[in-house]
Amino acid sequence: MAHIKIQNLIFSYPTSMDKKALDDVCISIEQGEYVVLCGKSGSGKTTLLRQLKTVLAPHGKKSGEIFFSGVPLEQVSQLEQSAKIGYVMQNPDDQIVTDKVWHELAFGLESLGCDQKVMRARVAEMACYFGIADWFHKDVSTLSGGQKQLLNLASIMAMQPEVLILDEPTSQLDPIAASDFLNTVRKINTELGTTVIITEHRLEDIFPYADRAIIMDGGKVIANDSPRSIGRLLYLENNDMFTAMPTPVQVFYGTKSSGDCPLTVREGRRWLSRSFPEAPAINQIPCAPASDKQQDIALSLKELWFRYEKDSPDILRCVNAEVPKGSLYAIVGSNGVGKSTTLKAICGICRPYRGKVKIFGKAIEKYKPSELFGGCLAMLPQDPKSLFVKKTVREDLEEMTREESRIAEVAAICEIEHLLNSHPYDLSGGEQQRCALAKVLLTDPKLLLLDEPTKGIDSFFKEKLSKILCKLKDRGVTVVMVSHDVEFCAKYADLVSMFFDGQILTTDTPRRFFGGNSFYTTAACRMSKHLFRKAVTAEDVIGLYLQNKEVQE
Amino acid sequence: MKDTFSSYHPAVNFLFFVGAVGCGVVFLHPAYLAVSILCGLSYYLFLGKTKSAKAFLLMLPVVLILAAVNPLFNTQGSTVLFWLFGKPYTLEALLYGGAVSGVLLTMLLWFGCYNYVLTGDKFTSLFGNWIPSVSLLLVMVLRMVPNLIQKTKQIAGARKSLGKGNEGKLKEGLAVVGALVSWALEGGVVTADSMRARGYGTAKRQSFLIYRMERRDWWLLAVEIILITAVIVSACLGQVNAEYTPEVSLAPVSWGAVFYGIYLLIPLALNGKEAILWHILRFKI
Amino acid sequence: MKKSTSVSLLVFFLLIPATLFLGTKLPGRSYYITSTLIILQMLLPFFLAFEGRKPQARELVVIAVMCGISIVSRVAIPIPHFKPTFAMIMLSGIAFGPEAGFMVGAVTAFGSNFFVGQGAYTPWQMMAYGAGGLLSGFLSQKGWLSRKPIYLAIFGFLSVLLWVGPLLDLCSLFLMPIGFSKKAIIAVFASGLPANLMQAGCTAAVMLLVSRPLLERLDRIKLKYGMLENHDKL
Repeated sequence: MAHIKIQNLIFSYPTSMDKKALDDVCISIEQGEYVVLCGKSGSGKTTLLRQLKTVLAPHGKKSGEIFFSGVPLEQVSQLEQSAKIGYVMQNPDDQIVTDKVWHELAFGLESLGCDQKVMRARVAEMACYFGIADWFHKDVSTLSGGQKQLLNLASIMAMQPEVLILDEPTSQLDPIAASDFLNTVRKINTELGTTVIITEHRLEDIFPYADRAIIMDGGKVIANDSPRSIGRLLYLENNDMFTAMPTPVQVFYGTKSSGDCPLTVREGRRWLSRSFPEAPAINQIPCAPASDKQQDIALSLKELWFRYEKDSPDILRCVNAEVPKGSLYAIVGSNGVGKSTTLKAICGICRPYRGKVKIFGKAIEKYKPSELFGGCLAMLPQDPKSLFVKKTVREDLEEMTREESRIAEVAAICEIEHLLNSHPYDLSGGEQQRCALAKVLLTDPKLLLLDEPTKGIDSFFKEKLSKILCKLKDRGVTVVMVSHDVEFCAKYADLVSMFFDGQILTTDTPRRFFGGNSFYTTAACRMSKHLFRKAVTAEDVIGLYLQNKEVQE
Repeated sequence: MKDTFSSYHPAVNFLFFVGAVGCGVVFLHPAYLAVSILCGLSYYLFLGKTKSAKAFLLMLPVVLILAAVNPLFNTQGSTVLFWLFGKPYTLEALLYGGAVSGVLLTMLLWFGCYNYVLTGDKFTSLFGNWIPSVSLLLVMVLRMVPNLIQKTKQIAGARKSLGKGNEGKLKEGLAVVGALVSWALEGGVVTADSMRARGYGTAKRQSFLIYRMERRDWWLLAVEIILITAVIVSACLGQVNAEYTPEVSLAPVSWGAVFYGIYLLIPLALNGKEAILWHILRFKI
Repeated sequence: MKKSTSVSLLVFFLLIPATLFLGTKLPGRSYYITSTLIILQMLLPFFLAFEGRKPQARELVVIAVMCGISIVSRVAIPIPHFKPTFAMIMLSGIAFGPEAGFMVGAVTAFGSNFFVGQGAYTPWQMMAYGAGGLLSGFLSQKGWLSRKPIYLAIFGFLSVLLWVGPLLDLCSLFLMPIGFSKKAIIAVFASGLPANLMQAGCTAAVMLLVSRPLLERLDRIKLKYGMLENHDKL
């Protein structure tokens, strides 16, 4: 008997009755399966997941049936559903209810009315299993994002669910915390046999372990197969989802190969080695030599030092950088090393106690605020929500300027014309991001700072964002971006800097930068390093592969 | 330094403060006042060190001024010190003022200690099973405040980096508050979902009691109850009687004051015992 | 009769008179304790009614958020006596009804004192803050309070000056050691006047400038998630 069986589920929201949010969905999931659900944002993934838990199911017109262990879901009591179906959401912060870690762990058990003895045992068990014992007595406000999400997971596991549903659980986390989290999920699946249904952008960390991948588009299930075979289907159909696949999969099908598709970097390396038993003739992408041409400098940082309090440790320790005009400059590095603080120092939210920030050759102190932020410098913060103060996107844009033509122009650049009359909080993460960007662009900045612009958005929105950035570059805007997203930086940046320990260590073009690294680099580079030099994107590897095959023939 | 008294069960802590503040507020007898102020002050200094000392130095002038002001409102008393605005300023009224100001000081000191000992989570766990919804509400509020402060900073920073906020502090502040309300309320919907997903409202809520009454807690509770009963009995016997106006007449100091002193010394005594214990333990090794 | 109603009746007609009676019998300055007990007893029915209703998760969250914001505006704004706290509490009352207004007020007072320090004044502040939310919620529910910013500003000004402020001053009267002579009473209320005026001014300013957008936001949440609709009655 299937653990969860969805039969001909059709659902539409009351606000748009004619459009089906879920269209004839039929899925059957076995006990202990690890199922990954993929699709663009707005394809109905979240709507589907929410149907699996009655209290979370949105209002609307619904037909079809959902069975949980053979029983129609409506007939399973709320109490049983709460305990047996665990649901982890996207935002780590908002899910937490109480102020102490121990209390949060116990919250579900408290609601179910367990007695003290059971609660004590389960809470202790969970704290040990998840390695929470060290921060058991802490305030939740002192935890990092990764710890918070782990706590959310643990507090649900304390109720000992049979099914674990995760709705983009790592979209707000940095890469290291995200893969830690996904490893824990896998551990739960393999060690406890809990059925896992997950939606995720980071498919590299999931595909090798998932039993099944289900692809949704426009409310329909368009593919339902093992991860190893699903790429083929998407490639043949030329589906948008293909760009979201892990790099080895993209390279494999991009080179029109056949056989078993590699899913991990390890498998990808082996497959490449097998394809080229002898060293390939062309092993390098022609790399333009560094131009000696003196470029105009848009932004220069000279020996910036910063700390928050007189007695606290230095966050920035002698930061030096020069950003040429009209370039896309990316700063990469791990969490908490001072990347965001650097951006704050550039736009004057933090004041360095030593060093100089020069914007277009003029020291920042010499600008009047109206001069600086009116047409010179602007920053897009990490969380786009911090920019929305009005009840429609249009009003928010009008807060910046009264000129309708300007608004229309910027809306066109950011592709948000159809969203202008919506409430900012009714939009998806990627849409919010673009609306916030539009608001920032209305100041007409010549230097644009972006703080983690790809956080929480899927591969399609990333592509859209890259197009917007290109358009801006064409208009002569200089963009400085801080990011964890190695793949994005490799693909689109002009210059990449490594930030570590409060300093910028190296700066180079993405090809040289990522091509020279062995660990901190893209999957494409890690996969092809033994054969090709400086191939950092999937396209690079595909290109070299095809060229070499041609030569061989 | 770690406070031993704080490591006891919140109920034991709470009862102690009810006794200390309740008696401190009623007793006007100078001996009792002196005992309470001395014990309260030493425990307060023990808990907060220099921070407490600074706070105490701020309390002192307020209390002294109030004592001096009292005779202006209260003209009873037989020993006239001088005349002010055609009204007598009497010694008895001044003494009475001193006593009631002393009461205010005991209250400030013991509440100062209370704030160190009974933190938010202790209070809510104390009442968690009596008023589950209100105490859950309180827990949620305590969780939300740091989060909201952080969000406020983010919003203010984001607006600053767009060049907003130069047009007037009040207007900008209110724009930030507005954005904060939206952000927090819309995020709250997720919180509510997360509560319901974890079964909130499906069964009778049972609070997880992280603090357990152990044997030492029962013992201390018993000691507290015995001592405070003794103090109340002594009060009923008139041992705390003190009249200031029109004539000063005080009841003689008796055994009640001793019990009162022992009661108020409980927290410090526990800390002392702990210190000695560790000292001995270290030498044994 | 609802359980909470009978408890309220019991408190108002039995418990409080009994406390008062006992209070007069006790010697010396026991009015400290008597008055605090009475305040606590007055808070009791509200809390019990809230318990008895078994609030929904969304309702609890909304009240918690409003409390959180009021607390932040009390704790984080450095200007003394110029805080949008009362305005936030009153707006909560207007948007979500008198009972929610009272809870927001009372919990704001209690919760913020975890950050600025609890004291004997805590129950008094809970009562006064709660009363502010209760009044605005009640008037608005009866339809006697228009939602036009200018009326809300006037209401905010007057209710802080004549209702919430004096209730807080009452606490100083009971806690300050200057007795209950006519002069003392006048002195306490007169010394509280500047602070109350400033606070009233701040409340009025907030109401005038942002009551409309803020109420729109609160209404949106109410509408979007259909909360608190069945519970608006006290």
